[in-house]
Amino acid sequence: MSLPGILLQTLLLLLLAPLVSGCIKNWKAKLQNRRGPRVWQPYFDILKFLRKDMIISEHASRVFSFAPHVVFLTSLLAGLMVPMVTTQAPLSLFGGMLAVIGLLALGRFFLALGGLDPGSAFGGMGSSREMSLSAIAEPALVLAIFTVAITAGSTDLSRVVAATHGPTLKLLNPAHLMAFAALFIVLLAETGRIPVDNPATHLELTMIHEAMLLEYSGRHLAFMEWGASIKQLVLMTLLVNVFFPIGIATDSSLAALAVSLSAYVLKLLLLSAIIVLVETTNAKLRLFRVPDLLSAAFVLATLALLSTFLFQ
Amino acid sequence: MPSDIILQPATLLTLSLCGYVGGAVAGLLFARHAKLANLLSFSAAALSGVSGLFAALVFLASAAAPLRQIELVPPLNPFVQFTARLDALGAFFLAIVSLIGFGLSVYSLGYAKGFLGRKNIGVLGAFFNMLLLATTLVFLADNAFFFLITWEIMALTAYCLVSFEHERDETRKAGVLYFVMSHIGTGCLILGFLLLFQTSGSYGFDTFHSIGGQMSASRRNAAFLLFLVGFGTKAGIVPLHIWLPAAHPVAPSNVSALMSGVLIKTGIYGMTRTFFEFLGTPPNWWGVTVLTIGTISAVLGVLYALMEHDLKRLLAYHSIENIGIILMGLGAALMFLHTGHGLLASLALIAGLYHTINHAAFKALLFLGAGAVLHTTHTRNMEEMGGLAKRMPTTSFFFLIGAVAISALPPLNGFVSEWLTYQSLLQGFGTTESLIRLMFPLGGAMLALTSALAAACFVKAFGITFLAQPRSHHARQAHEAAPTMLIGQAILTAACVFLGLFPTVFLKLFDPLTEQLIGQQISSQLTVVNGLVLSGIAPNGGTVSTLGISLIALCLVPLPLVLWLLFARGSKTRIGATWDCGLKSLTPQMEYTATGFSKPIRMIFKTLFRPRREVQREYDFSPHFARTIRFEAHVEEIFETRIYRPMRIGILRLSRRIRALQAGSIQAYLIYIFVTLLLLLLFAL
Amino acid sequence: MTAPVELGSQLITLMAALMLVVQLFMVVQQMLLTNIRLFAIQSLFLAGIATVIGYAHHATHVYVLAVLTLLGKVLLLPRLLTRLVRRINIIQEIEPLLNAPTSMLLCGGLTLLGYLVARPFTSLERLGNNTLAIAMTLVLTGFFLMFNRRKAITQVLALLTVENGVMLAAVALTTYGMPLVVELGIFFDVMVAVMISGILVYRIRESFASMDTSKLTQLKG
Repeated sequence: MSLPGILLQTLLLLLLAPLVSGCIKNWKAKLQNRRGPRVWQPYFDILKFLRKDMIISEHASRVFSFAPHVVFLTSLLAGLMVPMVTTQAPLSLFGGMLAVIGLLALGRFFLALGGLDPGSAFGGMGSSREMSLSAIAEPALVLAIFTVAITAGSTDLSRVVAATHGPTLKLLNPAHLMAFAALFIVLLAETGRIPVDNPATHLELTMIHEAMLLEYSGRHLAFMEWGASIKQLVLMTLLVNVFFPIGIATDSSLAALAVSLSAYVLKLLLLSAIIVLVETTNAKLRLFRVPDLLSAAFVLATLALLSTFLFQ
Repeated sequence: MPSDIILQPATLLTLSLCGYVGGAVAGLLFARHAKLANLLSFSAAALSGVSGLFAALVFLASAAAPLRQIELVPPLNPFVQFTARLDALGAFFLAIVSLIGFGLSVYSLGYAKGFLGRKNIGVLGAFFNMLLLATTLVFLADNAFFFLITWEIMALTAYCLVSFEHERDETRKAGVLYFVMSHIGTGCLILGFLLLFQTSGSYGFDTFHSIGGQMSASRRNAAFLLFLVGFGTKAGIVPLHIWLPAAHPVAPSNVSALMSGVLIKTGIYGMTRTFFEFLGTPPNWWGVTVLTIGTISAVLGVLYALMEHDLKRLLAYHSIENIGIILMGLGAALMFLHTGHGLLASLALIAGLYHTINHAAFKALLFLGAGAVLHTTHTRNMEEMGGLAKRMPTTSFFFLIGAVAISALPPLNGFVSEWLTYQSLLQGFGTTESLIRLMFPLGGAMLALTSALAAACFVKAFGITFLAQPRSHHARQAHEAAPTMLIGQAILTAACVFLGLFPTVFLKLFDPLTEQLIGQQISSQLTVVNGLVLSGIAPNGGTVSTLGISLIALCLVPLPLVLWLLFARGSKTRIGATWDCGLKSLTPQMEYTATGFSKPIRMIFKTLFRPRREVQREYDFSPHFARTIRFEAHVEEIFETRIYRPMRIGILRLSRRIRALQAGSIQAYLIYIFVTLLLLLLFAL
Repeated sequence: MTAPVELGSQLITLMAALMLVVQLFMVVQQMLLTNIRLFAIQSLFLAGIATVIGYAHHATHVYVLAVLTLLGKVLLLPRLLTRLVRRINIIQEIEPLLNAPTSMLLCGGLTLLGYLVARPFTSLERLGNNTLAIAMTLVLTGFFLMFNRRKAITQVLALLTVENGVMLAAVALTTYGMPLVVELGIFFDVMVAVMISGILVYRIRESFASMDTSKLTQLKG
């Protein structure tokens, strides 16, 4: 744990997160023969939101104004526990995978309360759906993470990354592959991507995440949006670095860091491309079909666990 | 030196016991002067709580040898000795009951005033003290006979408190159900202790120590099952839980808090005492059974809790969930004992017991919050609440803390104990080669499901109760609770925060306990970096520090401020109507309801809930303009309808048959007695 | 183990695992045509495994098997079934008896069972031996698929996945044990079975205007 490490990773999280969101939006538009917003658009959005005036509902309590900060800070904190460019995450001593899950859950808890607070039915609907779906995504998430943790022998993320980063090629390990698939489905659910939620829509019957943000404006909205994109970046980082830690720096020499950073960004962009492909080739599922998808993720995670000793 | 004597655990403990007796007597003596009785009995209970808490802490911190036996009453005969003794396990539970008792007593000072003129507060105070006294003695009893007697006193006083508002039909029914279930449990316990007595030849707990090793396997297993059912009924494990959601909500809220926070923990105490101390090295299936029951209780408890819109019933169902989580820890510990992993067994045991104290703290806190809400809105139905956060800000703040804690979210105490449970489950995977090890990660996944559902449930409980617009007249008229009620909640809130932020400090107190039960002291292995950071067993376990997380969070707080200063200084904030996608005049009827909130869960788990709904429309002329629409939704209580109802019908039918014996003629009865006598004589031959 | 063998073993376990994953997707997938495509993918992996084993052991007849699988089950049969589906105009959803999460969990249990049954025969000594558990699971879940679905054509598909499981076992376990003739026999047996049932399906559809096999109960007098 070092101060520069914490500062650098905080900066990286803050700056990279909107870019990833922007890339996904832009590429999705390209794939659908639209020109789409610029890659940098999310930055401008956040800046704009920060400058705007705010309207707070007369029915809302203090929880409403408290929630955006919790969402923003918990995403950042969770991000500081995930190894991004070096195997040693800045805050790995203060918490591993379970703390990351817990912090993201804390953010979600307040996000949902913020949705309920102004008393609009849309917000309530969003909160209800968000909490229900994330609840059934949780077992798959934990089981997949347990699988990885069991092979690494620890829930400490730095240790896990170091273990998968070993000399042997773990890419072909079916346990890892299936755990990756399970986590990918969870990622789609947690970040509100298409088979589960549509991030581009404001149609009340389909939206989940957006419904909770409807009453937010100004800098609260900026923190909410920023927090959401940081959360997405954290989960994506978890996926790419735990399962494909290629190129990650094991020491903090400048050359290793540079290589690691470029490898990391490349991997992120690749994962974004996969997300874009999934989003454009699939239709949004009916709400009550989403549990089918998530139970598939759960079974995949179970299979991953089984296959840690299935092939011995 | 006098200060030394006063700080002795024995002195403090005696003080505490005397305080409860004094409180009970005072309550009864001044029953006619309600205010005086209120003041005297509850302050006595509060002071006793403080001194009991200090007794336990001093005892655990000094890691002293178990206190010598105290004879409370001269022995009736060699078997029946009224002896009490403080040992590490007892002291831990003494700490729980005293801590919670302290908070509750302070709260009750204000809360009981709500009964002024309606009910006899002196009697309430007396029973409250007696219940605390009996519960304390349950943890101290050193003799099976004495244990059972205190156990029964506890059950009976609890019954009296549950039926305190006996004018209502619901209350009487719940009281009787509690009474019956509690006695089924006690019956099992009596049989279980008799089995132990057969081998040891004495009722003293000291002679029961590791008695399991000398018992035959079948007897040992029978004793295990009897204790599991007996203590499980008190703890409220599925499927023996049905009395719990009925009885806890109808009691006065301070009593509900005591029952959910402490009383059901006597079941956990009994299981720990018997399984770990008396019954010897467990066979594998014991641990598997306990872990399975724990997992099922946890998941079903929270699922049923989600379906409730009665605030106190919802909390009662969460007690079942948390008992399940505690049992997951205990079950894992039993499994590790079987495979001879003492270190891991200690970890799992600590996880379970840490969750026990945590649950006591946040559940009591939540019940107190619910009590404060009930006090001013006069309803337990969440659909009639709302908007209370503005009307009772302090209570809502405390309730929010409790909600975050029970949802196992960092940095509060629920997260810490669940984290420890996860660690023990994760490391348990490596302890055995058999397929049984799959239970650990799957149990972990179910634990994740449980805590995520709990979070959903408390978003609902807090959101519908405290946020948005008030849904009824009562909710609009709500006001903040009395200061003593707030102080009582503050005490428990502080407990939640401290237990959450400084787990490494409290872990040291577990050393004498694991030493006593498992023979290992592991607190030094559960901390790294000068005891600041919590660790699964070093060096492999993960690490976590709730304190560190909070501190870093505090350091990051300036970040939004800086952003605000940089960009948003010119922006203004206005208070306006809720936008609601442009809809005008938002009314409370348009808000999301508790039933609506849990609908997705109801649909996802419809095989379990078997939801039924009824919609009745009345039309005037056109089907498009309904005059009235009535909507009704039901969820089936599968245990009630599938197990208990058939059983009840069967028992009633059987008793109708047996009633044929009751002929009404004296001669017939004499013949029964005579035949019985003959049979007994023949049996004796 | 030397490097290429190590790589081969990893490739085989990976492809076997993917066969299992595809099988599970078939369990939840409700669209008939997608199901057929999934079967083709599964067979492709089988062919891949056969190729790797053939390469490792320099066994020509395993190559033959690989080529036959590729031609028959990846290209020919799926095309045939697709044509059949198109011709009798049923692209609608399969209606399974059990809902998706339940059948998924059941299949998880079956996987465990397959693992338990296969464990005594599993060794790391011979290449691909550790895929026996997967083969067993494919057979078991294939049977489950067969009775979980109503339409005749989906039952044919399930039969084919069972056959894939058998073939995997044959390839993985008995590279030298089972003569080519037997393997060819099984292969053509199933082929013919599919042809016949294809015609049968067409007939059932003709006479009952449905492919629901549960309607066959109406045949009894």
